[in-house]
Amino acid sequence: MFNVATGGRRRRAFCTMAVCVAVITKENYPLYISNVPAANELKFHYTVHTSLDVVEEKLSAVGKTTSDLRELYLGLLYPTEDYKVYGYVANTKVKFVIVIDSSNTSFRDNEIRSMFRKLHTAYTDVMCNPFYTPGDPIQSKTFDDVISSMMQVC
Amino acid sequence: MTEPDYTQSAEDHQCLLVVVKPLGSISKSNFSCVFNKISSVEQATLQDSHRATWIRYKQYYPPENNDWGDFQAHRRVVGLIAVAEARGTQELALIFESFDGLRGEYGTCLYNWRMFVFGLTGEVVEQNRTDVDFVGDYERLDGLTRTVEEFTSSLFIVLESKRLDRASEKAGDKMPLLCVPFEKKDFVGLDTDSRNYRKRCQGRMRKHVGDLNLQAGLLHEALVNYHIAVETLRSINDFLWLAAALEGLCVASVVSHYGTTCMTTKARHQGASTQAEREQRSRTGTQEVLIDPGSLTTNGIGGDPSLEIGRAKNCLSPDDIVEKYREAISFYAKYRQAAVIELEACIKAVRVLALQKKRSEAADFLQNAIYIHVDVTEDERIQRYSVLSELYERIGFRRKAAFFKRISAMQCVRAALPEPGWKACYELLLDTLQGYNISLDNPQSSTESHHGWPAVQLRILHELVYSAQRMGNPALSVHHLTFLLHSMLDFLSEQEKKEVSQTLERYAASCRGHSTTLEIRESLKVQPIALSKLPIVRSMKLINLPPNLRPVKLKSGDGLSTPISSSSPFIYSPIVVQQRREQRANQIDFQWVQGDVCEVQLMVYNPMPFELRVENMGLLTSGVEFESLPAALSLPAESGLYPVTLVGVPKIPGPITIAGYHTEVFGIPSRCMLQNLPHCKVMCSTVEVVPALPLTQLTTSLPRCSGLIAPSTLGDVCCNAVVRLFNGETQEVSVQLENIGKQPVESVELEVTYNHQQGDSGTCGMTWDTQELQKLIPMQPGSLVDLTLSIHANFDFSNTDGSLADTQDEMSTAPGTPFSSPARRVTRPHKEYHTPGGTPPEQNGRLGPSPLKIQEAVLLVHYTGGPGATAGYSRRLSLSILIEVEPSVVFTNLTAVPATSSQRCHLVIDVQNQMEHEVQLQSIHNDDLLLRPHENKRMAAQLHRLNGSTDGTGSPRGLQRAEAEAVCRQLGLRWLILSNGRKGEASVARVVSPAVLEQLRLAPLQWDVEVGGLTCIGEELVSTGVGKPLAVTIRLTNGTAVPAGPFCLELRPFLDFHNGLQDCALKSVAVFLGSNSSHLPQIQPAGVATFHCSCLFLFPGDFLLDIQFQDGTGQFPASWLCLPTVHVHVSEQPA
Repeated sequence: MFNVATGGRRRRAFCTMAVCVAVITKENYPLYISNVPAANELKFHYTVHTSLDVVEEKLSAVGKTTSDLRELYLGLLYPTEDYKVYGYVANTKVKFVIVIDSSNTSFRDNEIRSMFRKLHTAYTDVMCNPFYTPGDPIQSKTFDDVISSMMQVC
Repeated sequence: MTEPDYTQSAEDHQCLLVVVKPLGSISKSNFSCVFNKISSVEQATLQDSHRATWIRYKQYYPPENNDWGDFQAHRRVVGLIAVAEARGTQELALIFESFDGLRGEYGTCLYNWRMFVFGLTGEVVEQNRTDVDFVGDYERLDGLTRTVEEFTSSLFIVLESKRLDRASEKAGDKMPLLCVPFEKKDFVGLDTDSRNYRKRCQGRMRKHVGDLNLQAGLLHEALVNYHIAVETLRSINDFLWLAAALEGLCVASVVSHYGTTCMTTKARHQGASTQAEREQRSRTGTQEVLIDPGSLTTNGIGGDPSLEIGRAKNCLSPDDIVEKYREAISFYAKYRQAAVIELEACIKAVRVLALQKKRSEAADFLQNAIYIHVDVTEDERIQRYSVLSELYERIGFRRKAAFFKRISAMQCVRAALPEPGWKACYELLLDTLQGYNISLDNPQSSTESHHGWPAVQLRILHELVYSAQRMGNPALSVHHLTFLLHSMLDFLSEQEKKEVSQTLERYAASCRGHSTTLEIRESLKVQPIALSKLPIVRSMKLINLPPNLRPVKLKSGDGLSTPISSSSPFIYSPIVVQQRREQRANQIDFQWVQGDVCEVQLMVYNPMPFELRVENMGLLTSGVEFESLPAALSLPAESGLYPVTLVGVPKIPGPITIAGYHTEVFGIPSRCMLQNLPHCKVMCSTVEVVPALPLTQLTTSLPRCSGLIAPSTLGDVCCNAVVRLFNGETQEVSVQLENIGKQPVESVELEVTYNHQQGDSGTCGMTWDTQELQKLIPMQPGSLVDLTLSIHANFDFSNTDGSLADTQDEMSTAPGTPFSSPARRVTRPHKEYHTPGGTPPEQNGRLGPSPLKIQEAVLLVHYTGGPGATAGYSRRLSLSILIEVEPSVVFTNLTAVPATSSQRCHLVIDVQNQMEHEVQLQSIHNDDLLLRPHENKRMAAQLHRLNGSTDGTGSPRGLQRAEAEAVCRQLGLRWLILSNGRKGEASVARVVSPAVLEQLRLAPLQWDVEVGGLTCIGEELVSTGVGKPLAVTIRLTNGTAVPAGPFCLELRPFLDFHNGLQDCALKSVAVFLGSNSSHLPQIQPAGVATFHCSCLFLFPGDFLLDIQFQDGTGQFPASWLCLPTVHVHVSEQPA
């Protein structure tokens, strides 16, 4: 906010990379979390966990003012020194959080939106699986593939 | 300016800063007592003014911060209060000295100072210093308050004068340049006459006047001054002071909007207890502002309406406050030296935003505050994170709050610290738990459906365990580790499970798990954790007593069969039926007995990847007294469902409820209540305990049955035996009943039931002497009773395997009598080994093993006594006896042969010895018959015919049975094994076929033949002379129920040459007087037909008179129509 990002605005064409993707239930426990440098998993757990505060705040703010359809995409939840955290809440209050490296300044808001849409679709597919019990951690190869495609250059 | 004050809020801008210092040998508690008293004076007023100023007291304030007093007036120390305790004049002098030193430290800017000296009385007090007050006692502090009030008023007066000084300065006057410490060298050599410089001086002075106005409670003037300062400073790009002016503007607006500082200051001193109250107050304040911003003037800031309007005009709107704060902070950020100011501004802004409920903006400010780099000491770093956490909590970001709280906890125990503060770390970590959705005192809430973030929860719990351990409180660490294991079990990897449980075992070895409530700190008490997942109990079932211990209700009184609820108007309703079914499922239809070991079966499951040792596992019960007998068990890794039986002894009769169980795993005792185990299936846990009953044991002289018999047919069997008999044998069996319980046996009843699988082919009987039994009771505990049972085998003596059936075909000598079943005749191939009376061929006797006949009988012993008897219960002991019956002798064939007399009959019996022993067959009227093993012999016995028609009242089958028994009695057959003396009866009752019986009966058609006045039955010899007529009378009586006849009757004399030839052509030898043949008409039942004629023999000799009879209808068997042949001897001389 106040610390204006100082990195040069080099624009690489369509290179958005997520470092962490998380799916969180209505009850705020994780269904799925995956991060790219697999080593420091706990750090991302903390990052995503604390971002829920902002998500809740944004949701409650929306609930007060308008009754019509709210936008699912919540935008930037908060920036940290290294990462930017984006949120998206489905109508079932299932939350999707994508963490992006702050140094990667080339992405556009639209790309993030499309990533969330993709994530939502993949999640819907998981839910459609009759063998999946809602509330269980997601263990789907297809879902994994979608996530790993997001973590890669897309 | 190095040390940020994290406790600051926007309202502090309007406060005068007073430092309160202890001096001399004053104790801490005394000082804090005095400090509290001093700080209760929050406001200073002037007598003739509505205005008031606020006082902020601090115990410690770095003097270098004082240098920023020009920049923001509230940072300047304007008052100094010293609190000292002196014991003598000498000490007093020292105190004076240090007080003066202290005064010098805070410089010339002090408006006033004062010292309170305790502990001195008398003439020493008569000092000439006006700034020193002597207070005699800590108890009498009222005077002190008054002095402080005077002191604060004096501060206000000085402030007022300063303000007026500043305000009177005209814009044209030469103004001094106010600057912050780090700016001083920048302005050296600057042209002081330039317009820019002048403006800078003016702007900064305006800002300073604004500060003073604010402190003096002149909100409107302050706002005006700030506005002017902002405009002036903006034009010359003096960003640092512009920021300060903007902040001042914000603060003044905040005070104007939410001017309830009285409460906030107080609350800060009193702690968190009034926080809710404060929030409420603030909220109402906010509302009031929304209604009418001008009306909120409770603090004597002036009642002038015009002022109010002006203030409202200059005052910033709540949204503007945020904007201006944002601007100010961004200007501060331009100066690295002003980092502390920026940080404090951020924090103050957050507090304001929290008040305004603008949470996301507040979060932005806080996020920014995190980035501000300030060189701080370790302590301050901890404080900084704590404050961040507290602020996050205030805006409702509890996860963030927990995150920072945890960081500050980690800071407490950084490796760099010489003395890690484990205690502080632990306390801080405890505060984070709420943010991570962990509730230590209620582990169940997290097990039912897991809420929260497992990875971070696991982490925090691990840290909590470790810090508790390092803190030197093993009980807490054991508790937390138990909690971790219990609530996080599903999220632990196998390796982690192993590690955690090993650690727990180690910790628990040093400190046993607590079984009472543990108080972590005030207002946080934790219950002991029940490790209900180690092992997981899937179901619990109460087990009935074994059959021999089960109590049986003596009288079937009002039983369990009447719970038909009359509440429903419907005769049948599926809902009612379902309810009743559930009700029944929840009822236990058995009882436990006082003093006997009772069992409960648990299905347990070990979720751990290693062998789990569970010790001291027992039942927890409510209701009557119950002695639980704990067990230890070892469950294999990932065991799957594993049955475990827990036992106990009820001590008192009455209802008992199994409430749960207790275990000890890893040295942690836990009490698991069923109501807290949602995953445990319990049908019903309440059972009735009946009073004590005696207990007996049954032993027999018989060998135990090794083979399996199906016990289901006759109910539960607790003891079994086998006895082997020959068919027809009777054996005495000794049964011992021993009282092995503690109660006397007062009544015993015996009962026998048989299984009727082979009902047709005979049964075995068991008899005993009831009277003898009654003599033996009551049995005292430990006594032994002998009973004698006699078992009699009475099976079919017929040749059931049919091996010899074919031999009878040829022996059926009776005319036209079908006595063997047609089926048998058809299926057997014809064999020619007809050797009547001799030994059968060798292979005949070895036609396979003779089949054993098996009969199962259950002897039930009902007995009762003691208190249980009065309650109407008894016990049942059952002895299952398997009676194996070997064939003894077999009657292969029975043939009735008419004797010469129609009253009598011969029974020809083919008997086979099927035993491996030589046997003697005895009968009443005949000689003994010796049979070698597997020998066939034929014996004949003469019997009286049965007059079966006499009692024709019973059913035909019962009649036959009775007739067969009669035949048996007449025969009186017994067998005796010569080698071992075993003996038994042999009954033909089941062998005689209806056809044979038919023959044995007296024929219902009664023939009376009278020849020459002599009634002929068979062998009679009638003598007559030649030429003498011999009268023959034949009378036929119909004894049947139907009309008989008509018949043809013919008398025919013949000669028998005894060589097989007969001469029937005797027309010239014998002459009939009258007709020798007759047609008898139909005879009604009980009717009689008579035939008369005379026969005249012309020559002497032996003649036979044959009475031939022809039945035109064929309705009667031929044997009924058999008439004797009369032997007539004719002599020469006439009689």
